[in-house]
Amino acid sequence: MNGLMLIDDFEKFKHGMELFLKPPDFSVGTTPSEMIFHEDKMKLIHYIPTVEKTHPVPILIVYALVNRYYILDLQPDKSVIKKLLDEGFDVYVIDWGYPSGVDMYLTLDDYVNGYINNAVDTITARSGLDKITLLGVCQGGTFSVMYAALHPEKVKNLVTLVAPVDFDTDKGILNSWAKSLDIDKIVDYYGIVPGDFLNSAFLMLDPFRLMIDKYVGMFDRIECKPEDTACQVRNEDYVKNFLRMEKWIFDSPDQAGETFRQFMKDCYQKNLLIKNELMLNGKKINLKNITMPLLNVMAEFDHLVPTDASKPLSDAVSSSDRETLVFPTGHIGIFVGSKSQKEVCPKIAAWLKPRSLQNGNGKIGSGNEEKTKSAKEIMNEQIKTIRRARVNKK
Amino acid sequence: MSESDGSCIEKSSFESAREFYDQWLKTYTATTGRLVDMPAVGPAREKSEKMMKGFSTFVNLYTAGMDTNSHFQGVFMEAMRKVKEKTAKDMKGEISPERYKEFYNIWIDTYSETFKDFSKSGNCASDMGKLNSTLMDFQEYNREMLEENYLKPMNLPTKTQIDEINKELYSLKKTMKELTGQIKALEEKK
Repeated sequence: MNGLMLIDDFEKFKHGMELFLKPPDFSVGTTPSEMIFHEDKMKLIHYIPTVEKTHPVPILIVYALVNRYYILDLQPDKSVIKKLLDEGFDVYVIDWGYPSGVDMYLTLDDYVNGYINNAVDTITARSGLDKITLLGVCQGGTFSVMYAALHPEKVKNLVTLVAPVDFDTDKGILNSWAKSLDIDKIVDYYGIVPGDFLNSAFLMLDPFRLMIDKYVGMFDRIECKPEDTACQVRNEDYVKNFLRMEKWIFDSPDQAGETFRQFMKDCYQKNLLIKNELMLNGKKINLKNITMPLLNVMAEFDHLVPTDASKPLSDAVSSSDRETLVFPTGHIGIFVGSKSQKEVCPKIAAWLKPRSLQNGNGKIGSGNEEKTKSAKEIMNEQIKTIRRARVNKK
Repeated sequence: MSESDGSCIEKSSFESAREFYDQWLKTYTATTGRLVDMPAVGPAREKSEKMMKGFSTFVNLYTAGMDTNSHFQGVFMEAMRKVKEKTAKDMKGEISPERYKEFYNIWIDTYSETFKDFSKSGNCASDMGKLNSTLMDFQEYNREMLEENYLKPMNLPTKTQIDEINKELYSLKKTMKELTGQIKALEEKK
């Protein structure tokens, strides 16, 4: 019995190694798209709509600088972008690229008032509208909040996904570590802060799980005998998914030093954004300028951006139409978890649809022309429908 | 309990190594450290003073490393003790391979949780801050020495010079973008 178990585990390991020796082809970010604008390293990507008539207001997704945007389009069946396209939206995303030495002096102002603003202008010029929906993810969400406060006239709706705005929380380990770092020394030495430097900090959050258990678990899941073809296919799919995620995790662009300096010092260390004291190019960011509809989405078990860091946004803005959604998942799970795929995107889409209407002359309505349903109302309706279907079945 | 039962875990600690290092550091600070920090004189004073500083930078890094190691070692010992407590009964006699997965799960859960608890503490943040700061000083010093003693004499470009060019490029690009924007706005007005 004991011997058989060991042989079985050895077989799993051997088979796993065989799969790795002939790694399956895998790709990320496969949803068809076109680059419509670029500036320095930044590219504005437009996804080809999958419906004939899209909702009038386009969505611009702003992702963080620390990892790559394709986590939102990791694989066809786990793609936030594809889901939004299928829900009838016209979707754009900013690809920040990989900064190099020449970008080391780029500031937060260059990112927010430069790149994001130019991307928004490009989209409005293409669509003939004067406002768009801004969907900011993680650090990209923080940037989107800054942008919406500085340019409210260009933002129809603001959706923030696991975005930190209040950095003074003891719930996040990163928040406490960031306070003890001498950011000036790091930026002065590196200039361009290596992505690996940040990645090592992420790994240190839970080194035993992230550097040992994850890989043990991967081999442990390989469970079938070489002659079982159906199982082999499942194995290969599993390894592909694992490799996609592994690629994304370690595909960490370096950081423009001056932006990193300002983001870490002004946000993580001094917490200026939520206090309405953050300055960009001499202009103070006042969150009260955010008057457009706001959907603030977060993950309950987020170890990188705790809900305490995101929730205060809802009270800091002036928007009368605002909603907060918390999903029982983690920071990455919210984009790629199977359950999240079924819940998060549909709810964002349901919230956005009635708020993406257009009036004549290319002007966009306030979103209040017709009574808009809140995501909670939509959720309740869905639950009622399911219950009714169950009763009918009985 | 005999040592073969695992009581050696209780006795193991990084403290003795730490005490030895503290003693060495005290002696160093009172003797060689003072010599190293002495102002240099003579025609090569600038160079030799910079070179002497390197040793202090290294000692600072080593001390921060020692503090971090000492705390990490404490965490590992605590995790090991917890694992021992959880598995003491099952570890008596021969361990069957059937249970190694169970042991693995206990081991990984305990180490992960203990380390996470430590990560949340102020000690961990302070260790990381000090270690990082002294590491940056040390790296910066090494780069400065490399530039001064090797790259400049060989007339090769240094990072400092490349950064100057990068700054100039950034500033030129920014001006160009501003001017392009202004021209566009003027054209639209026409």
